[in-house]
Amino acid sequence: MIAIQNTSKTFKGFQAVNQLSLAVAEGEIYGLLGSNGAGKSTTLNMLLGFLKPDEGKTLVNGIDTSTNADESRKQIGYIPENVNLYPYLTGIENLDYFCKLAGKNYSKSELADFLTACGLQAEAHKKRTETYSKGMRQKVGIAIAYAKKAKVYLLDEPASGLDPLASNELSVLLKKLADEGAAILMASHDIFRVRETCNRIGILKHGVLIKEMQTSEVTANELEKIYLNYMQD
Amino acid sequence: MIQIILNEWKILLRVRVLAYLTLFFIAGLTLVTWLGVIQNNNQQEQQQAAQKHVREQWENIDAMNPHGAAHYGSYAFKPITPLSSIDEGVNAITGNVLRLEGHVQNEIVYSEASQSLSVSKFGKLKPSLLLQYVIPLLLIFIAFASVSSEKETGRLKLLVFQGASLPKLILAKALSVWFYGLFLLVITVAVQTLINLKNTGAGNIERTFFLLLAYGAYYYTVVTLAVYFSARLKNNTAALSSMLAVWIIWTIFLPKIWGNTTDKLYPLPSRQEFKTAMKEDRSKGIDGHNPSDKREEELKQKVLAEYKVDSVENLPINFDGIVMQADEEYGNQVWDKHFGKNYDILRKQKNMYQLSGIFNPFVSLQSTSMGFSGSDMLHHLDFLQQAEQYRRVLIKSLNDKHAYGGSKTGDWSWEADNAFFKSIKDFEYKSPVFATALNQNLIDILCLAFWVVLATVIVALSASKIKLV
Repeated sequence: MIAIQNTSKTFKGFQAVNQLSLAVAEGEIYGLLGSNGAGKSTTLNMLLGFLKPDEGKTLVNGIDTSTNADESRKQIGYIPENVNLYPYLTGIENLDYFCKLAGKNYSKSELADFLTACGLQAEAHKKRTETYSKGMRQKVGIAIAYAKKAKVYLLDEPASGLDPLASNELSVLLKKLADEGAAILMASHDIFRVRETCNRIGILKHGVLIKEMQTSEVTANELEKIYLNYMQD
Repeated sequence: MIQIILNEWKILLRVRVLAYLTLFFIAGLTLVTWLGVIQNNNQQEQQQAAQKHVREQWENIDAMNPHGAAHYGSYAFKPITPLSSIDEGVNAITGNVLRLEGHVQNEIVYSEASQSLSVSKFGKLKPSLLLQYVIPLLLIFIAFASVSSEKETGRLKLLVFQGASLPKLILAKALSVWFYGLFLLVITVAVQTLINLKNTGAGNIERTFFLLLAYGAYYYTVVTLAVYFSARLKNNTAALSSMLAVWIIWTIFLPKIWGNTTDKLYPLPSRQEFKTAMKEDRSKGIDGHNPSDKREEELKQKVLAEYKVDSVENLPINFDGIVMQADEEYGNQVWDKHFGKNYDILRKQKNMYQLSGIFNPFVSLQSTSMGFSGSDMLHHLDFLQQAEQYRRVLIKSLNDKHAYGGSKTGDWSWEADNAFFKSIKDFEYKSPVFATALNQNLIDILCLAFWVVLATVIVALSASKIKLV
């Protein structure tokens, strides 16, 4: 469902992504690990259609994201690192607005169901998001992606700044989405969370995918060692 | 787009500070408009009373020598237009009473500024002050962060990702702030119309509509450019400072700079120069070779030949009346020559000033606001011209009576009866029709339309250049 084929991207002489190829299948959660500047966000931005690759292709459900960004975006649910909602609107109003922008008109009860499904407690639905914690805002962000009924999810550092409980809830939720058939690509430098959540892990360094493995093949400690070894080289 | 506008309004309505500010503005605008209408009505009543008194005095003149009546004179009162309660334009400084008498064209007197306390000499708090300066500022403060805050929080990326197109997003944000400005504008005009219902004629409805249109166009330009800066510049501070700089240049610097340039390009003679030239032409003749004594002698010979007599004493008419009328007509020519020049210069200055609307829409707004309120310089000049025309008719009637009413030359004791004075119609000023005001402000309207199109095109063309990553 997600395919990155021999993709490269350079910014003013800086090679952000170099001949990257990877694929995420239906029901799979792929964790893209890498330090800051490794090329994770550039990869996501190419998949989101905000950047055009210099070489290669980025495809979502077979749609080229660089030539047909509008169409490919309809297939994607995107959760940024910081979900900044409109503070003067409630959670349900924020969800309603973002859904309407995507051309989805849901009833109040359907919107509430999406929020509940994404782990936001019912009493919070009608509170202004200025009172929300980062975890709560992240859940609304996931609900925005979920309500799009997307089959592909792209997450940029989704657990950053979340407390352990909220972070765990996020993992549970992503697994649920994968069980429903979604393909999820999660960019992160949180080794533990990636190990807990993903089926497959890729390590990105200087824009190059230097290691790819199944999560079941490594323990958390082994993964940490592998990651640190690659990063120190 | 409607979704974005509705969402923006939902948010605006929940910002408590803005809610209080809106209430404050509505109260302020209502109060200022109400006071403006009251002040207008009071002034109108006083003028009507004065006009009535002057007319009663005129009609109660007993038998009197017509030339004595010419010196007794009359007054023309410049009427207050209903919409000048919104924009008093030049009225505060130009005066509103003109004494009409023989031999001389007086200057209009009793300007409000000349009678006010020193503080209010600098302009009264009229709705136009709020509508032209304060509300645009408020709109800038609401609009400057509309897109930059979306960028700073990263929400813009999510909005675009969800399907909002950038040009539509920017335009929708501009429109939502613009509607707020229109809301305040409509309240002001509605209050003015409701309080002043009895004076709202058909012409005023058209004028009010165009007034709304002009302010609407200006607000649209200001708001769209503020949102454009918000979208193109890096952060909120840069967006706010840039738009404030534009506002200051438009409202403070450019009008002064262009005003001074216009004065230099088309200079008016000084008061002293003007009076000296008038006096000289009156005594020496317009061509400088035809002094008044010579003119009188030529006229005398002509009249004597016409009546086939050898001296003015033998004329069946009063030659003094003919001389006075001839002198009057000569004076009128002198006045037409000098005032005509001044009128031309003032019109050229006005046209030149209006043209600056191409790079400063504020000038176009000011001009249309005064023009459609009936309080600009062109309306004032129109009043002066009509008053002068009336003075000429009045003095000619009196001189003709003196000449042909039955008296003989040299008989200054001859008197016309009261019925004659009563038969002379009072001065009645006819305001320029709406089409005239429209024609006079066509440049301003075109400039404002140009700015509306330009602002929209800027947003449409530049939106796609905004970097989301």
